[in-house]
Amino acid sequence: MTDRIAGEYHGERRALFWLALRTAILTTITLGIYRFWAKTRIRKYIWSSVAGDGDSFEYTGTGLEKFLGFLAAIVILAVYLGVLQILLFFFGLSLLDASDAPGQAFLQFGAFVLPLLAVTPLIFFAQYRARRYKLARTRWRGVRFGAEAAAWGYAWRAMAHWAVTVLSLGLLMPRQTFWLEKYMADRTWFGNAQFKQGGTWTALYPAMSHVLIGLGLIVLSVGLLALDWIGFGILAGLIGPVWLLVGLVSYRVRAFAYLTSMKTLDGQIAFEAAPKTGRIVRIGLVGMLIVALLASVILGVPGAVMTSLVGFEAMEFGPLIIPFVLLYMLGLAVVGALSLVLLTQPLIAYLVGKITIVNASALDDIRQRAGDTGADAEGFADALDVGGAI
Amino acid sequence: MLPVKGRYFDGLTSARHDVQVTLSADRRHLQIVGPSLPAPLSWPLPDLRALRDRAQRGRLTVTLHAASEYAAPQDPARLTVTSAALSTELMALCPDLLKSDMREGAWGRLIKRGALAVAAVVLMLFVILPRMADTLAGLIPVEREVAFGKSVVSQIERALGATRLGQLRCENPEGLAALGAMTARLTAGSELAYALEMQVFDHEMINAFAAPGGQIVIMRGLLENASGPDAVAAVLAHEIAHVERRDATRHALRAAGSAGLLSMVLGDVTGGAAAVFLGERVLQASYTREAEAEADIFALAMLNRAGVSSAGMADFFDVLADMEAGMPALPAYFSSHPASAGRAEAARSHADGQGATSPVLRDGEWAALLAVCN
Repeated sequence: MTDRIAGEYHGERRALFWLALRTAILTTITLGIYRFWAKTRIRKYIWSSVAGDGDSFEYTGTGLEKFLGFLAAIVILAVYLGVLQILLFFFGLSLLDASDAPGQAFLQFGAFVLPLLAVTPLIFFAQYRARRYKLARTRWRGVRFGAEAAAWGYAWRAMAHWAVTVLSLGLLMPRQTFWLEKYMADRTWFGNAQFKQGGTWTALYPAMSHVLIGLGLIVLSVGLLALDWIGFGILAGLIGPVWLLVGLVSYRVRAFAYLTSMKTLDGQIAFEAAPKTGRIVRIGLVGMLIVALLASVILGVPGAVMTSLVGFEAMEFGPLIIPFVLLYMLGLAVVGALSLVLLTQPLIAYLVGKITIVNASALDDIRQRAGDTGADAEGFADALDVGGAI
Repeated sequence: MLPVKGRYFDGLTSARHDVQVTLSADRRHLQIVGPSLPAPLSWPLPDLRALRDRAQRGRLTVTLHAASEYAAPQDPARLTVTSAALSTELMALCPDLLKSDMREGAWGRLIKRGALAVAAVVLMLFVILPRMADTLAGLIPVEREVAFGKSVVSQIERALGATRLGQLRCENPEGLAALGAMTARLTAGSELAYALEMQVFDHEMINAFAAPGGQIVIMRGLLENASGPDAVAAVLAHEIAHVERRDATRHALRAAGSAGLLSMVLGDVTGGAAAVFLGERVLQASYTREAEAEADIFALAMLNRAGVSSAGMADFFDVLADMEAGMPALPAYFSSHPASAGRAEAARSHADGQGATSPVLRDGEWAALLAVCN
C-alpha cells in the first residue's frame, strides 16, 4: 500500500459537453423542472472523474430528492419571503417623506438595504445546508462523507464575520476566511473519521500580499493625480485594479493551499496542496476567452441572420419570432455546456491534481458512518439560487 | 470465462479488496473472491445495477439493488471492473443493469409535496398577499402615500421622455381652470379622503392614470381623441375611483410581495426572467381587471350624482375598442382591463336610464381644456 495518494482527474471534454447539453435542453423543454436531475447527472459525472489511487468518487444524490427538497423549501420560503417583502416595502413607504430633508436619502437607502439584510442569513443557511447535502451524498472507497447539522450556527457566524471584514475595510478578511473554514471543516467527517482544521488566521496574511499591493497602487495613483503627476498617476491607476483582481485570485488560491495543508483527518492523515496562481489565472483567462468567442459566434450569428432577413425585407418579423427564440435558448444551452467544459472542468482538474493525501494507509481503518437523509436536499439553495456552477 | 480483476469496497470500511470476478457456471451470479474477503461473494445478476453518468469509459461500477432509507435504493457495497468483455456480457445478461430504481412511495411523496408547494404559492399569491396589501394600504398615512405618488408620477414622466421634471406638464391656466371646474362638478357632494391633484402631460398616448395619494394624470392624446367633455369627465371619474379605493398603492404592495416569490419558483432557468415577467403580468392583470370593473361602477354613480350623461363614457370606450381592433387580441388573462366593447355597451345602457343631464363643461371651457398644452 502506498502511503501517499495523489489526486487524479479523468473527466473528458466531449462526454461532459454532451451530457451538459442534453440535460440543459431537457431543462428548457420541461420549463425548468428537469434542472434538479440535470445538476445531479453532471455531479455524478464530475464526482466520478475525481479519483485517488485509481478509486473514483461517487455522487449518490438523485434528481427526485432534490426536487422534493425544493418543493419543501418553497412552502417555507413562499410564506417567509412573500410576507417579509411586502412588510419591508410597507415600512419603506412609511419612511418616505415628501420633504427633501438630508436624512431622507439615508432612510431610503435603509429601505433598500433592509430586504437584502433579511435574506442574507437565509443565504448562508442555505449554503451550509447545500454543502452538508453534497457531503452526505459523496462516497469514496465505499465510505460516506458527512457534515454535522449546524447551518444556523454557520449563518450567524458568517454574518458577524462579514460585518467585521466590511468594518475593517477588508483588512480582517483572513480572520473571516480562516474561522468560517474551520467551523465547516471541524464539522466534516469521512466515515467515522473527523476532519480538523489547524493553523492560525494570521498565517493567511502573506497570501493577501498581492491584494494589498493592488490596493496600494490604486491609492498611489489617486495621490499622484492629486499632485499633478498625470503620467505616473494614470499608469498606477491602470495597473492597480488588474493587480488587485489577480491578487484576489491569488489570495483564494494560496488560502486554499494553506487551509488544505493544515487540515488533518482522524488526527493522522494529512494533506498537501500546491496549486499555482499563475496556472489558475491562465486556465481561467484562456477558458473565458474561448467561451466568449464561441458564445459571440453562437449567439451572434442567428441574430445577425434574422436582422438582415428582416432588414432586407426578405421575411416578415412575426413568423421569425418563435424559431429565433428557440434558437437563442439552444444557443444559451450550448454556451452553458461550453463554459462547464472549458472553464469549470479544467479548474477542478487542475486543483484535484495538486492535492496529495499523506499517510494514506491509515485510511484503511476508517469505518462507515450512518447516512444523513437530509430532508431538504439543498432545496433552500436551489430556491434561493445560491448553488453555483455545479 | 477467465477471472477478471476488480476492486471491491464492502461499504463498511474504507479498505480496498483486490478481487477476482467471474460469472457462475449457470450464468446467474457474479462470483467475487479475494484474499482479504472473509468469504466469497455471489451477487445475483437480476439485482445487479450499474452506476450511471460515470466518467472513464471502459470501467464499470456495479452494486446491488436493495432497500435503503436514502434516496437511491442500493446496497452500500461497490465493485469496479475494467474488463470490456465482462461489461458486454453483463449488459447482455442483466436486463435491469441500467435501471434507475425509485424508493418505495416516491410517487406518493412527490404528489403530496407538489400539492403542498402549489397550494402554498397559490395561497400566498391570490389570498394572503392581496389581503395584506389591502390592509397595509389602509395603514399608510396619507401624507406618505402622497409622497410615494409624487415619486411614481415623476418616474412615469421620465419614462415618457422628459429630460427634466415638469417638462411634460401642460400649464395653460385657462385649460387647468376648466379641468378644475370639471373636477369640482364631479366631486361636489362627495366626501373624498384625498386632495385630488390633476395634471395633463403633453404626450400623444390615449391614456390616463391614477398614482397613489390623489395624483391623477391625463395625457394630451386622450383629450384630443375624446368625443367631448363628458367623455373626459367619465375617465376622470374612473381615475378618482382608483384614488379613493387606493388601487395603485395596493397594487404596488402586492407586487412587492409576489415578484420575489415568482422568481424563486421559476429559478435560474434559461429565459427565467422572461417567465417571471409574464407571470407577474398575468397576476397583475387578474388583480386589476377586478379593480377596473369596480372603478367603472363607482364612476357611473359619480356621473349620476353630477348629472353628467354616461354616453360620453360609451363614446370613449368605443374609441378604445376601435384601437384594440387594430391590434392583435391578447388572451383575456393577459389583459389588465375588461373588454372595451362590453364596457361601452354597459355605459350606453346606463345612459338610457339616467335622468336629466347637462354637459359637464361649457363650449368655451372645453376649448380651453383642449388647448391646455399650448
